[in-house]
Amino acid sequence: MALVWRARRAKILSLAAAAALAPLAAWAYQEAPALDAAVKAGSLPAVDQRLPEHPDVITPHQAVGTYGGTLRRMLGGSNDHNSILRIIGPQGLTRWTPDFSDVVPNVAESWEVNADATEFTFHLRKGMKWSDGQPFNADDVMFFVDDLLNDKDFYPSAPGNYVVNGQRMTAEKIDDETVKFKFAAPYGLFVQMLATPLAQEPVLWAKHYCKQFLPKYNPDVQKLIAATPGVQDWPSLFRLKCGEVESPTRWGNPDRPVLDPWVTTKEAYTAGATRVVMDRNPYFWQVDTAGNQLPYIDHVAMGVAGDNQTVVLEAAAGHVDMQRRKLDALANKPVLAESADKGGYKFYTLDNAASDTMAIHFNLTDKDPVMRKALNDKNVRIALSLGIDRAEIIDIVYQGTGEPWQIGPKKSSPLYNDQLAHQFTQYDPDKANQMLDAEGFDKKDADGYRLMSDGRRFTFNVNYTGIEQPDWGDALEIIKEQWKKIGIELNATSVERSIYYSRGEANDYDFMVWNSPGGLDAYFDPRDFFPIHPQGSWQAIPWAKWYLSGGKDGEEPDASNKERLALYDQFKQTSDPAKQKEIFGKILQIAADQFEMIGISSAPPLYGVVNKKLGNVPDVIPASWMYPDPAPTLPQTYYWMK
Amino acid sequence: MIWRFIIKRILWMVPFLIAVSMVSFLLIQAPPGDYLTTYIAKLAESNEVMDQASINDLRQRFGLDQSIFVQYWKWISNIVLHGDFGMSFEWRQPVSQLIWERMALTLLLSMATLIFTWAVAFPIGVYSAVRKYSVGDYIATTLGFLGLATPNFLLALILMYIGVVYFGSDVGGLFSDPFKNAPWSWDKVVDLSRHLWLPVVVLGTGSTASLIRIMRANLLDELNKPYVDTARAKGLSEFRLIMKYPVRVALNPFVSTIGWVLPQLVSGAVVTAIVLSLPLSGPLMLQALMSQDMYLAGAFVLMLSSLTVIGMLISDILLVLLDPRVRYE
Repeated sequence: MALVWRARRAKILSLAAAAALAPLAAWAYQEAPALDAAVKAGSLPAVDQRLPEHPDVITPHQAVGTYGGTLRRMLGGSNDHNSILRIIGPQGLTRWTPDFSDVVPNVAESWEVNADATEFTFHLRKGMKWSDGQPFNADDVMFFVDDLLNDKDFYPSAPGNYVVNGQRMTAEKIDDETVKFKFAAPYGLFVQMLATPLAQEPVLWAKHYCKQFLPKYNPDVQKLIAATPGVQDWPSLFRLKCGEVESPTRWGNPDRPVLDPWVTTKEAYTAGATRVVMDRNPYFWQVDTAGNQLPYIDHVAMGVAGDNQTVVLEAAAGHVDMQRRKLDALANKPVLAESADKGGYKFYTLDNAASDTMAIHFNLTDKDPVMRKALNDKNVRIALSLGIDRAEIIDIVYQGTGEPWQIGPKKSSPLYNDQLAHQFTQYDPDKANQMLDAEGFDKKDADGYRLMSDGRRFTFNVNYTGIEQPDWGDALEIIKEQWKKIGIELNATSVERSIYYSRGEANDYDFMVWNSPGGLDAYFDPRDFFPIHPQGSWQAIPWAKWYLSGGKDGEEPDASNKERLALYDQFKQTSDPAKQKEIFGKILQIAADQFEMIGISSAPPLYGVVNKKLGNVPDVIPASWMYPDPAPTLPQTYYWMK
Repeated sequence: MIWRFIIKRILWMVPFLIAVSMVSFLLIQAPPGDYLTTYIAKLAESNEVMDQASINDLRQRFGLDQSIFVQYWKWISNIVLHGDFGMSFEWRQPVSQLIWERMALTLLLSMATLIFTWAVAFPIGVYSAVRKYSVGDYIATTLGFLGLATPNFLLALILMYIGVVYFGSDVGGLFSDPFKNAPWSWDKVVDLSRHLWLPVVVLGTGSTASLIRIMRANLLDELNKPYVDTARAKGLSEFRLIMKYPVRVALNPFVSTIGWVLPQLVSGAVVTAIVLSLPLSGPLMLQALMSQDMYLAGAFVLMLSSLTVIGMLISDILLVLLDPRVRYE
């Protein structure tokens, strides 16, 4: 049969995939024993009728699994809904391959892109169903685009993912299984974007259920609003009942139909919940290579603990089957290693998508004109970098894991730029002193510190978030001693994180310390290569605001950053992967030549705990927000080994 | 007479609560930034990011872009006119739903702790006063001081550690997994009683110790008074004598504790509750305050102040009934 899997890049028919899928259509599928009773009793249709005509066939990582059991995890006390997202998985139109190298069809069966990347045609799976058994089709997608995305009441400002050139995405229904998305200008990364954790809107909301909260479909919606406390208008009612992509309410309503492998039960994620349990979705649309409907595991049960130490204790007691979130601090590893045998778990490794554990983001837009001038001097930045003995910090603070590193893509990334990663990482205080002398900081005060042009001591008074990242405080203490030798004073104090962010928003700092993303996910998190992130591009937040507001807010960037931002605009409109890589490479090269921030150590791998009996869990998983680990490794294929 | 007293007290509550609502709203708003700043910071913990459009959208939805006076008016008018406490930013759920869910368990735990405290402190206090400087008094006193000096949360952590490492038991919580969200049944009550003792002991030690000391000191004051000697001379049995006269006088501080039980419902033992993962209101309120989840935090503070006022009223009334010497003027 002519099942066509049309890849985004080359419009070549993937014959191998078609050949592998074709015979399945004739097979009868198998289902979990837990569902047998319901099927026999007639309250649930047979598995063949529950699956779409062409289910998504998954090749398990190690072996075809067996059914049953519960997967246990821990959630934080509040605002930890993304932990659920990471295990249930963002079931969007596309998903990442487990190695984070490409996107493959997920809810969509295939897609095509027009030549200039302004129109994307998605083919849905015929006969696919929501978790309540109602059909899922193009009407659900159109419901999002027409009734929500393009409604100014629902989205006064639309999510950035669906806006190009200031215009919201539109769509056209071709037939029941086909939708065409249209953009005002080329959108090269659209299908990749759909695989990121917060881009399921097109397939998040079941029209047949959610339309009751829209005045357009339900003239009596006002009665519902009046009857619900805390709700004043239909968008809030809709978000309360149908959830939104990034909110606890997404996991709070057991009545909301979903496309996820596990569905919310009465033990939902609401305030006061001490346990969240999710059950298998009998209509889940993926099968393994032997025709077994996924997921293998019956339930996902998540305890809720307000205190991170409780999470660590639960893990040490062997009550956590697979997790890294909230326990992956380096300091917890000895405790967890000690109890590993007793708790029946082992460690798995996470390939950290971050590039550097700690990058010093000099504020190129500093409010203080004297300091600003100094920090915008590349030779000063070089001298400050040469004045840091990274080997010492790595030995003392990071237990010898990691190598001296600035920023930028890792060696394993195709975007790796050696200059960006390694320039000026050697320790050379003599050269640093010479350079600072040459740049006009040759006068010193009685304590041996250099003076700036207005006669002030060259001092950095900076903050760091010491509660979450005590290692940054330790490293800054060592840098303080090292910089003393080149006549620079450093005073670092720990502050609470939201105060830290307020400082950033107010542009009230000389430099900020944060880890540097973009090791594996540079396309999606380029905030350290040019000012793009209004909270995280610490090197120049006003420039980021200028760019994002189209020049209305913030400050106009310097020529080099403007060039990079222009290249980025060009990059976003390119759909050819080779061209994308070329343009992004140019951006990285400019960033390397400008040398705007300094890093300390390459980010060492992270770790998580996994029960020894849990099968199909890869030994190494990429760790990133854009690849919301471990979801793209498909937890629905994890199973309990006998 | 007593009714006039009660009505007067209730009427005074109104201006008091209005003032409290204003002050608490201003205080919650006082730290730099707003809920979204803390939210962004929270997401950053896992290196999660939101795009600026969504943030602007949220700020507008929550009304955080308006002036503080407008925000206060919206909040208070909805409470007064519609009984609607608004929407929690953090949970995106109606506040009223969140608060009542936790209140019942908090009430239960507070009552259990209170009874435990009384049951332990009363006899020990009487004993150590009557048998002053005996071996038993020294033991009770030593344990009392230890209990007073040990921070509750530390005791909780130690007990939890012992539980996990040596007995492999559940860590914290009030229910075993199967009962956590199950409807109430006899089995669930049994399960609750199995878990309840740990927080009750942990929370009770501190106040037990102080009540023992208070009871002992008060009773010692009374024991040497002439009326005790008179009663003894008249041949009253020692037990009846002590229970009927000096103990009754020394009981006043016990009754006063009721006054602060009610506010403790909301705010009490926050750290312990967090450590033990107890589904009480304290941790929720702390979290709401930390994340500047204004409506949730505001509702808690309002509730806290009303309960304080009510609790004080109740303990005043009880004192009047118990001890004729105390008068409402």
